Amino acid sequence: MGFEKFLFYLFALITLWAAGMVVSRRNPVHAVLFLVLAFVSSAALWILMEAEFLGIVLILVYVGAVMVLFLFVVMMLDVDIAALRAGFIDYLPLGLLIAGIMAIEIFLIVGPANFGLHAFPAPAPAGTDLNNTRELGLLLYTVYVYPVEIASVILLVAIIAAIRLTLRRRPDNKYVDPARQVRVKKGPDRIRLVKMASETPVPVVAPALEKESDE
Amino acid sequence: MLDNYLPILIFILVGILVGVGPLALGYLLGPRRPDQDKNAPYECGFEAFETARLKFDVRYYLVAILFILFDLEIAFLFPWAVVLDELGVFAFWAMVVFLGILVVGFFYEWKKGALEWE
Amino acid sequence: MPFDAANLVPILPEIAILITASVVLIVDLYLKDQDKGLNHSLSLIGLVIAIALTGAVGGGERQIFFDGNLVRDGISDLLKGAILVVSILAFIYARPWLKDRGMLVGEFYVLGLFAVLGMLVMVSANSFLTLYLGLELQALSLYALVAFDRDSKKGAEAAMKYFVLGALGSGLLLYGISMIYGATGSIELGPVAQAVAAQGIANKVLVFGIVFLVIGIGFKFGAVPFHMWVPDIYEGAPTPAVLFLGSAPKIAAFALAIRMLVEGLPSLHADWQGMLIILAVLSMGLGNLVAIAQTNIKRMLAYSAIGHAGFIFLGLLAGSQQGYAAAMFYAIVYAVMSAGAFGILLILSRKGFDAENLEDLKGLNDRDSWYAAMMTLVMFSMAGVPPTVGFMAKLLVLESVVRIDLVWLALVAVAFSIIGAFYYLRVIKFIYFDRPAPDAPILVTSGGVRIAMTANGLALLALGLFPAALLSLCQAAFAVQ
Repeated sequence: MGFEKFLFYLFALITLWAAGMVVSRRNPVHAVLFLVLAFVSSAALWILMEAEFLGIVLILVYVGAVMVLFLFVVMMLDVDIAALRAGFIDYLPLGLLIAGIMAIEIFLIVGPANFGLHAFPAPAPAGTDLNNTRELGLLLYTVYVYPVEIASVILLVAIIAAIRLTLRRRPDNKYVDPARQVRVKKGPDRIRLVKMASETPVPVVAPALEKESDE
Repeated sequence: MLDNYLPILIFILVGILVGVGPLALGYLLGPRRPDQDKNAPYECGFEAFETARLKFDVRYYLVAILFILFDLEIAFLFPWAVVLDELGVFAFWAMVVFLGILVVGFFYEWKKGALEWE
Repeated sequence: MPFDAANLVPILPEIAILITASVVLIVDLYLKDQDKGLNHSLSLIGLVIAIALTGAVGGGERQIFFDGNLVRDGISDLLKGAILVVSILAFIYARPWLKDRGMLVGEFYVLGLFAVLGMLVMVSANSFLTLYLGLELQALSLYALVAFDRDSKKGAEAAMKYFVLGALGSGLLLYGISMIYGATGSIELGPVAQAVAAQGIANKVLVFGIVFLVIGIGFKFGAVPFHMWVPDIYEGAPTPAVLFLGSAPKIAAFALAIRMLVEGLPSLHADWQGMLIILAVLSMGLGNLVAIAQTNIKRMLAYSAIGHAGFIFLGLLAGSQQGYAAAMFYAIVYAVMSAGAFGILLILSRKGFDAENLEDLKGLNDRDSWYAAMMTLVMFSMAGVPPTVGFMAKLLVLESVVRIDLVWLALVAVAFSIIGAFYYLRVIKFIYFDRPAPDAPILVTSGGVRIAMTANGLALLALGLFPAALLSLCQAAFAVQ
């Protein structure tokens, strides 16, 4: 238990530090990378809570896909960071005050008084042969099959919305179609193979005549 | 269950050590005498014109978001594949419906040309 | 695991909507531009089939399906029917607007249908998870509808605000749900109610959870102080999108409140009642007072929506079956009124022109006296003037508040509704006593729009004269519990 506790606090500290860096970094790309770190360490926290499948999905989906999307968006927007940060110091005291109050409130409610080990005793650690993915699947595809199907409809809506909102064909788009570029037109572009008899070199005749035709 | 993850933890630690160690050694042991000119961005004798970051086309965003959606679908497929033996026909049809709904979306994006790059 | 096909029966309306949406999505890919009207017909056919199925599978005892994720009871039957009817109105009103602007594309119908599907899922949810998923499905579709006019900067801004604040609201709701789950160990409404009854108020985690649930519900209703998004989104979004998000979703939000607070946490009624009183008083006050100052009619209707949300809370907080029935009556009636008001705005709009200001209604009587009469009925009903149904709705919620000895609250509500009557009557003054703008053309509308608007306006009058038709259904929905 002692080692697990140590790991928990280690990863929790990394998560908090990375989350703090996300909001305080000047460069948005760095902020996104810190967010990746926050996700990875929270995945470790989830695995510590024996939710291994969710931990792995967090890395696969959030770190692997969502963060890539974030990077695209950050690079796409090309925002003026300095202007965005202009009020940072001014708002900092108020922000810290509110954050502090929120943290105290959350601690009072979610803290040991209400959510302590006496109210929620730690479950016995699962054996090495417990397959978290299997347990999840057994529930998802029996009890929660209705929510699962709704989830797929939500994904479908996301596909439609994303395409509707971002896909547009501008007639003035300039681009090269490689297939058309290498295609030759019928006629002069094409190499024509002509079958003909081999020719013997013709002796030079009447240089005077040729000169005449040149002129 | 967590015992299974001990090797992974050790692997991460060793990975961090191998990655950070040389950098730290270089930082500590190597000579560093930076001055203003050394730290300035180098651009073939010219002053830097603009930031190095370029705007991305919005089409990257579309590709990325479509990727995320199907990535999430995979997350649903994993537990399904593990328990299909035990749950049998019901789970099979549940997934057929799930995938069927998404195939409608896939067909739409295919026909709409969202997967083409012009 | 053996699967009981009986599980599929109560979701037949949902399945019909899902199939309709998928068919429209695919068919639209093969339609030429001039044939896009087929999307409209297909959507309406799907909605009508869904209404028929709702009627066919509805009625009878309360039943639980899908291992406790789904419930079919009087509430779900009635609310599903109301949502589907209001959505049909919305689709009919939206069509000419879309056609004029070259936006009569399948995606609008598909997103609209999926929003309807989300609402249907919400009203028949029996667990916090299903409720949340239905809410997200509805919200996601509505975000996209608000941004539907891609070239409109105002629309994009409104969609951004709606998305950020909607996500915040959903996040708070989810946080509350996680607290409730932590305290009770279940996300199914029945077991949660039992666990809460056993623990009572002593558990601070539960109280904390309720606070977040009420905040989330407040966000979805647009109740003060969580109303910031409403006026900006009503103003910035394209009018058909506002028509969609201002009408039927109020019914779904009512279902959200009923399922979470009344069915999930009935024994903590004293706690959420206090919070709802604050929300109700603030919403009625701010909504009705600020609406007076508006010159943009969409903003005015937004503040009016905030005020009406306060009245719906009055019925909810009463905590009696009579109060819930009154609130349900109010929510349904409000959705119909709101659809009518935005429908008139769509009728007044034409190619290149959106009716957005109060001035645009000037002299409507001279331009088309029938639509003027219908708009008058809608405005009278919103103001609560007898004999329209708005009066009955207000009377019923006030009665429920008086019955629990909160007479002061009823007086406050009456005072604010009298203040509110001013700006509704001002609209009627514009319609009848002002000259139309010289460049205003004659209104040209299709027969379908005219029939729908006539039905919409006359329904408000008919329900006002014979409220028992709908009210008895509302009361029956809550009586069986």
